[in-house]
Amino acid sequence: MTWWSPLQSACQAEGHQGYEPWWLVPDLVTRNGCHTFMASLKQHKAIGEDLWKGRTDKINAELFALTYGALVVQLIQDYEDYAEVNTQLEKMGYNIGCRIVEDFLARSGLGRCNDFREVGEVVAKVGFKAFLNITPTVTHSAPAAPVPSSRPPSGLNPAASSTSAGTYFTLALDDNPLAEFVELPDEALEGGLWFSNVLCGVLRGALEMIQMQVEVYFISDVLKGDETTEIRVKLVKYLEEEVPVGDD
Amino acid sequence: MSLPSQQGGYRPSISTSSLITPSLLALTDSPSSQSQIDASVQDYLLIELVHSLRRSSQVARDRLQKREDEMLANGLLTSTAVAASTLAAGQVSAGLGSKTSLRGLSAAAGATANVSVTEEEEAIRVRLEALGAHVGANLAERYVVHTPSVEATESSSQSLSADRGRFTDTLDVIKFLCKDVWTAVWDKQIDNLRTNHRGVYVLQDNAFRPILRISSADGPADSLKRAKIHTAFPAGLLRGALARLGLQGVIIAEIPSLPQCTFQVKLPKGT
Repeated sequence: MTWWSPLQSACQAEGHQGYEPWWLVPDLVTRNGCHTFMASLKQHKAIGEDLWKGRTDKINAELFALTYGALVVQLIQDYEDYAEVNTQLEKMGYNIGCRIVEDFLARSGLGRCNDFREVGEVVAKVGFKAFLNITPTVTHSAPAAPVPSSRPPSGLNPAASSTSAGTYFTLALDDNPLAEFVELPDEALEGGLWFSNVLCGVLRGALEMIQMQVEVYFISDVLKGDETTEIRVKLVKYLEEEVPVGDD
Repeated sequence: MSLPSQQGGYRPSISTSSLITPSLLALTDSPSSQSQIDASVQDYLLIELVHSLRRSSQVARDRLQKREDEMLANGLLTSTAVAASTLAAGQVSAGLGSKTSLRGLSAAAGATANVSVTEEEEAIRVRLEALGAHVGANLAERYVVHTPSVEATESSSQSLSADRGRFTDTLDVIKFLCKDVWTAVWDKQIDNLRTNHRGVYVLQDNAFRPILRISSADGPADSLKRAKIHTAFPAGLLRGALARLGLQGVIIAEIPSLPQCTFQVKLPKGT
């Protein structure tokens, strides 16, 4: 039962010696919803920390920032159009996201999330922490009435709530590892360049691989002179599991 | 940034450490204590970078081609002038040399397909090397100026050339590359360093990280071919690092067999 171990260690770390481990499993209907939710918040953080600490290959974030920055400069030179550069960065992120989610699921061993709210928590506390060693703050939208038709018949937890289309969460990044040495020139500011747009693509690609179609976009960016760097992830719909043609 | 000796011979060595407040010091921490991220993120980025640059270099070339066509159509340029300007522009933007797809020549040669594929590879390679050079130069600077072995207060105020005294000769610089730079970027050291003592060094890595996990559906020969483009960024990185440390070298990367990779560093005579 090795799958239990990160949850058990998180549980023990919190001092919850007496609880049985079954209620920590994210995709089972729980008795005490409130308790579980509070515990799961801390549990995600602990999982994220564990994943980060357990990782042996780490590199200097500057290297990454330098590489990315040089790439953006080259793309601007090639495309000469900031909107196009935004699209290309997002596309690049999408491809990276598709791969990175596999890596993430393999390493974290997390099961399905109950609802979109939990997706936000996992993305911020486990995902970002495990890969970029940052924990953006998550704020959720007010849950709207659930729309059953948008959910596939199989798979998702029937006890889930706030999974309607249009639900969103916002990630506020305190420090953006990509933008370490960056200052945008006036033309880039006027042209509307979202420097870290690759992150939007990564999120979109990763979530699409786990059957969620989302719209991800920047709301504000410190590089543009705003107060904070914020990314909004809005749920469009859940995707049906498709059987590949000719496979049955 | 050295303190001007306004006081003449009154106090010959005035320490500048009082100028470095704790908050400033926190900003200039050494590379080893700086923020880190997962190495796989960089790997994914580098892979996608190649695809992205392939698309963007195509776009850039198409645009250049279109501009020439327009100029030709408007009679602003004759076709020979186009050839010359394409050559010049090509060398500036993509460093192509004799393989530029000059419209007249390529049509006449009839080998348009071959020429443009090589040209495309060249364009990507040049871009990757330029990217690598930028990263390598900055990396070398950070690692030479801000290593923990040098005094924290002094190092941040010294210029790069003053610190250059750390490297007594070329071999030291190469060893710095083999150990510190390789570890910083690929988490391991070079496995084998050879030299002919006449300015040529061969750095061999038996499990080179960027090409470690490449496999192709068309067999090992194809994998090797595809792996070549991923050595462009590292080659550029080495070139940039060397250049920033004062050595102008030519780097040639070769893959004798996956995942081994050798980098031949040719330094000009006299170094």
